This record gives sequence, C-alpha cells and structure tokens, in this order.
Amino acid sequence: MKTVLFNTLAIYRRELLSYFTSPLAYTIAAVFWLISGFLFTVTLDGVIQQAAQYDQAAAAGIRTAPIDIPYEFIRTILGVIGSLSLFVLPVLSMGLYAEERKRGTLELLATSPLTNWAVAVGKLLGVMTFFFTMSLPLLLYEAIALSNINPPIQLNVLLLGHAGLLLLAGAVLSLGMFMSSLTDSTIVAAIFTFALVMALWVVDLVAKNFGGAIGEAIGHLSLLKHYTNLIQGIVDTSSLVVFASYIFLGIFLTAQSIDTFRFQRS
Amino acid sequence: MKRRLNFVKFLILPGAMLILAGISAGIISGAWGAIPTGLIIAGIVVIGLWMLLIGRFKDPLEPSFWRRRSTQASTNAIVSTIAVLVILGLINFLAVRSAQRIDLTESRLFTLSPESQQVLREMQQGVKVWVFSSDRNPQDVDLLENYQRRTPKFTFEYIDPQTNPGLAQAFGIKNAGDNRDVFIELQSSKRRQFLQSISSQARLSENRVTNGILQITSDRRSKAYFLQGHGEKSLTDGEGAISNSVKALEEKNFTSAPLNLAQLGKVPADASVVLVVGATRALAEGEVKALQDYSNQGGNLLIAIDPNIKSGLDALLGTWGVKLDDRIAINAPDQRLTNAGPAVSVVTQYGAHPITKDFGNGISFYPIARPIDITQTPGIQATPLLLTDPQSWAESNIKQQPLKLDGGDRPGPLAIGVALERIVTPTVSPSPSPSPSPTASPSPSPTASPAKPARMIIFGNSTFVVNGFFNQQLNGDVFLNSVTWLSQDQLQPLSIRPKEVRNRRIVLTNEQAVLIGFLALGLVPLFGFVSAGVVWWQRR
Repeated sequence: MKTVLFNTLAIYRRELLSYFTSPLAYTIAAVFWLISGFLFTVTLDGVIQQAAQYDQAAAAGIRTAPIDIPYEFIRTILGVIGSLSLFVLPVLSMGLYAEERKRGTLELLATSPLTNWAVAVGKLLGVMTFFFTMSLPLLLYEAIALSNINPPIQLNVLLLGHAGLLLLAGAVLSLGMFMSSLTDSTIVAAIFTFALVMALWVVDLVAKNFGGAIGEAIGHLSLLKHYTNLIQGIVDTSSLVVFASYIFLGIFLTAQSIDTFRFQRS
Repeated sequence: MKRRLNFVKFLILPGAMLILAGISAGIISGAWGAIPTGLIIAGIVVIGLWMLLIGRFKDPLEPSFWRRRSTQASTNAIVSTIAVLVILGLINFLAVRSAQRIDLTESRLFTLSPESQQVLREMQQGVKVWVFSSDRNPQDVDLLENYQRRTPKFTFEYIDPQTNPGLAQAFGIKNAGDNRDVFIELQSSKRRQFLQSISSQARLSENRVTNGILQITSDRRSKAYFLQGHGEKSLTDGEGAISNSVKALEEKNFTSAPLNLAQLGKVPADASVVLVVGATRALAEGEVKALQDYSNQGGNLLIAIDPNIKSGLDALLGTWGVKLDDRIAINAPDQRLTNAGPAVSVVTQYGAHPITKDFGNGISFYPIARPIDITQTPGIQATPLLLTDPQSWAESNIKQQPLKLDGGDRPGPLAIGVALERIVTPTVSPSPSPSPSPTASPSPSPTASPAKPARMIIFGNSTFVVNGFFNQQLNGDVFLNSVTWLSQDQLQPLSIRPKEVRNRRIVLTNEQAVLIGFLALGLVPLFGFVSAGVVWWQRR
C-alpha cells in the first residue's frame, strides 16, 4: 500500500514537472488566462451595467425587488468559465497517454512494476493540479472585484463554486485521460473527449424528450445540471456522487485500457 | 473453404449496424414493436455468430482467437467494465433516491420555507400544478422541483398552450401578452383552481403555491352570499347579469349562493362574505339590522351602489364613517374613453392596499359612479382604493349642458371605491367611537385566536362587474381581489415571506477596475506567453 502511494506520488511529481517544462502547457495556460480574463471583465461590466439600469428603473418609481448583484455575478462568471473549460480541458488531457504511446514510453510504463491504477491516479492528480493553478488568477480577480461590498459577501458560495469547477474538471479530465489511452493521436483524443463531454453537457435536453423515469435517469448524467447546482450554492449529495462516479470511471477505464494494451502488444 | 470463410471476421460490422438501426427505429417511432426488436435480435445473433466463428479458420499454427492471451484480457476487461458500470449505476440510483441538499446561499434561496414544508408533510391528496407556458424558467422549475422532492404527491407539468389547445381550453386559460397562467388541480376530484399569472417580471411565488395547495386540499370553500330581492344584479346568465363574475369566483374556490334576508332574517353562519351588488330599491330595516349584526361579528361586506339609489344602508355605512355622495363623477375630458360618455370614470390610480398592489397604472373603468366620502373614524382603517383623475369632478346637476365644474360641484380626485377594516381591540375599552365595539369571538383563552377584524368594501358603481364589463381591463381583478381580501381571514392563508435577497451592488473604485483590467487582460496572460517562449527557447 505504501509503495503504491509512493509510486502515485512519483508519477504525480513527474507529471507536474513535465507541465512546468513544457511550452505547450504554458501556451494553453496563457490562452486560457487571456480568454477567461476577457470574459471576466466583460461579464463584470455587463453585471454592473445591468445593476445600474435596475437602479434607474427603481429611481423612476418602478417596483423592483432587491437583487444581490455579487451573487448573480459569481453564478454567471462560474457558468461562463465552466463552458470555457469544456474547450480547454480536452486539450489538457489529450496528451496524458497518447503522447506516451507515440513516443513509445507506454510499453515501459505498462510493463513497469507500477500498477496501472497508480499511474492513472498520479497523472490525473497532476493534470488537475495544473488546471487548479490555471484557475487561481480568477480567484484573485474575484477577490479584487468583490472586496469593498457592503454588507460583505459570504465566501461559501464562491468557494463552493470553485470546488464545483474543480470537480467538473476532474470528471472531464478523467474521461479525457481514458480517451487519450485509446489512441496514439493527441488530436483524436482531444476531439473524442470534446464530443463526449459535449454530449454529457447537453444530455438533459435529450432527457426532456423522454420524460418519466428514463428521462430522469438520462438527465442525471448531465454535467451541466450538477455543475449549475454547485455554482448556485446548493450541495446536492447526488451531484457529488455523479462527479465522483465520472472520475472513478475514467480512472478505471484507463487502467483497463492499459491492461489490455499490455497483452495486445505481446 | 478456409479462405472463403475469411469474411467472418468482419461480421461484427453488420451486427453492430443492425443493433444500431433497431435502436434508432425504436427511438424514432417511439414504440418498440416487431421491427426494432427484430433488428436488434438479428444484430445480436450476427454478433454471436462472429464470436463463435472468429479465428476458427486462420493459420492452424497460431493459437485460436479465443485462446489468445489478449482475448482473455479483453474479455476480462469487458466483463469487469460492465460490472463497474452496473455498480456505479446502482450507487447513483441510491444516491438520487436518498439525496440530501444543503443550501449554502445566504437567504436560503433554494429551500422551501418551514411553513411550506409543514403543508407538504400534512398533505393527504395528490396535487398537480399546470403551467401553461412553453418556456421553462429555471427558477420556477427549481421551485416546483423543490416541492416535488418533498413529497411524491406533488407533481407539475408544463403545457404549451399552442401545441395543446384542447387542454388549454379545458382550463380556460387567459394567457394575455407576457402573462402565462398557472393552475393547480386536485388529482382525486380534478378540481382546478387558478393559481397565478407568471411573466418575465413575476415569477412563480412560493406563497401562492403553498396557499393554493392549502386551499384546494381543504374541503372548506369560502362561501359568498349575494343579497337578492331589491333589484340586485342577477346571478344567472342574462342581460345585465353578473354570472361571469360568479364563475370567476368559483375558480377562486368560492361557492356563490343567493341570499334572501327577508326570509332568513340573518346572515347564515357559513358566510365568508356578503355582497350587495346593484340594489335598486331600499333594503328593509330588518335586513339592514341583519347585515349590521353580521358585520359586528366580524362579517365581511361588499357593497356596490349606483348613483341616485336610496339603498337604506346609510345608517350602516355611517357607523363606518362612510357617506355616499349623491353627485355623479364626471371624467376629465382628456381622460375619457373613446365612444364613452363623460360619466364613465376611468381609474388609473389606486390606493396602497393589498387589493390593488399589483395594478400599477392599469386601467379599470366604471360607467356612472358616485363618489364616496370618508370621515376618519377612530378604530377604523379606511383606504381609498379607486381614485379618479385629479381633473375630474363630481357633478350635481347632470342635466345642465355643457358639463363643467361649477357651484355645487366638487373637484377631484374622487374616491369611488373604499376598503375599510375595523381594527379590533381585544380588551374592552371605553371607545369614543360612535360605532359599537365589535364583539370578540367568545373564545375561552384570549390568546388562542385574535378576534376577527370586520371588513367592508364599498364601490360607488355596480355596473363594472356585469358580464359585458367584467372581462375588460382590470375590472375583474378589482372585483376578485376585493372578494378575496374580504374573505381572507376565513381561510387564514399562510403568509410566507418571499425569499428576500440582500440588496447588494458591486462597488468598484476606479483603481480596482483598472487593476482588474490590467491583470486579466495584460499581466497574467503575458506571463503565460513569456514563460512559454522562455521554456521553448531553453529546450531548443
């Protein structure tokens, strides 16, 4: 057990190191920062203007309900960033195994004394850490934007939202890792991951056509529904279970896929 | 032989195609009849053949397909994958079944109030909410799902009135403009009741839904008695009848009945409200006495009296500090409706009162109305409901043409509708008011239930609710809201405070805005690009 943990940590360290020495990783991060920064400022402006219009209406004597603009903002921006992540996450996960296959190092990994599980978990943790680092500047902007609000906002919704983002990333990256383990082309891995995630994102639209228990079951697969729950400030245990299931399924399938790969080559 | 049977290894393709075709056919047709099932079974058979035959006709030196190590590994993988999927499915099924929700928002936006939870816990019968709208507003769906999560007895359905006109007609929906109707239905008896209108401004309110559930599941329906016998408007269909109003009341869970006080001598005990709409002859003294007694015991009266009518109610109204003016309200020239005479009062201003709070600047109109005078009386809270235009006036001499504001007339704005509530003081005190203090209900403990306040609404016109006028503009709402307000203490609806969010704004100083822009669009992305360049240069 101890060795497995140690091996996982070793893989994790190796992965992290590879990100910090990879120009591609920096480029992905830079593009993500640029787009997310742009979306952040645009959303912030939009929300502030909306509030101003609202106040004008109130000043003109139209009956208006109170509105919590910071809360609306957190919800909106995390929704926007969640959608943006759908494009970025497949790119992050595409190289996890496909790159190793292409370079021929997967044989080494597959036949090494490390268990497939330890490798998969280590890789997933590495890429999740990288994504978490990528999302940190957003927290900084949010801290600045929401710093002088009276009465001060409670942080739990904000932090829950970011935890939700990380869970969403974990689920997507885990499935992406499996896709990556199937092919030696990073592009193919990215495209298939993107298609799969898109399907899981909008599956509740399909579910509505079914209705009944089947519709409910299909709707339960939707990533968007559960993500929206979390960024709104609702902790639904079933949502957490769904994300955990996706993450576990991704790791499991990756381990299986590498397992069969080991024998197919022999 | 072996060569010729080599095609077997491709059999998996047609097999998969057949299964796919079967599934597509089933989904498209919506029914899993013979053709889709047949296709799927054929596909499974073909794949089975493939599994049996594959590798059987290859090079005899190679181990057969099924004995290869890789095949064993793959089969292992497939079996364990299926097992894991089934297990995850079961876990998720259980997780959904026993889902717990924690609401971290500040004002617990997504949690039903304790009152609603209590109502749902005690709900015995199935209730269904019908929303006649094509777009599912997430906020509304969320609220309805919250109800549904609490009890399986609560269901809801969205109906597009365009695609389902039959059902829309059965409910008699009145989707007007942006407004979409919401109904509630008791599953056992199919009794339906209008709940509220939703629009992009007005979302579904928890208060309405919970009170709707309470109302429709309780067997108690409020009873509205219409006084008859003095030329009042008829309740049955016909010229100048108020049958539409009566029907609309029925939808609001009222039962209506005519009341003949001359026979009964007193108002029945089950009355929630007594209406005197458009009497043309004076009430007898005994009848007025009966109404007075009813009012003194916390009864609710709606009185609509047209001008030039001696109703005999002056003494009763006097105790409330109300006097009916004998003049006729004349509308300001620029406020007149086209094709209507100057005596049609157009009201766009409403008093601050629960009855009129949603009306805004909406129009209601009253053909030939009389103004109502209020003298402030201690212990009685009087609110003018309907106010005519400031340019209008009360005309004393209607025959003199042209009509203008002169001597004996009274300038506007005039109140042509008044809501009154007698504030009950629980302890008997020597009140200076001329009105006899209302007798509190003889409850053994004074804290158990507060005495019922007596309520009264007076309109200086009764035509506005007759069939031709009732459905126009806000006329119907004025009437229905009034009756609902009058009968409210009977039903004791729960008042659930709407989820008030904290009113907050994002305040940014100039420096902060600049700093965010500088960081988000400049420094941070630049750092990424520069690092990428440096790393690339080093690795080159």
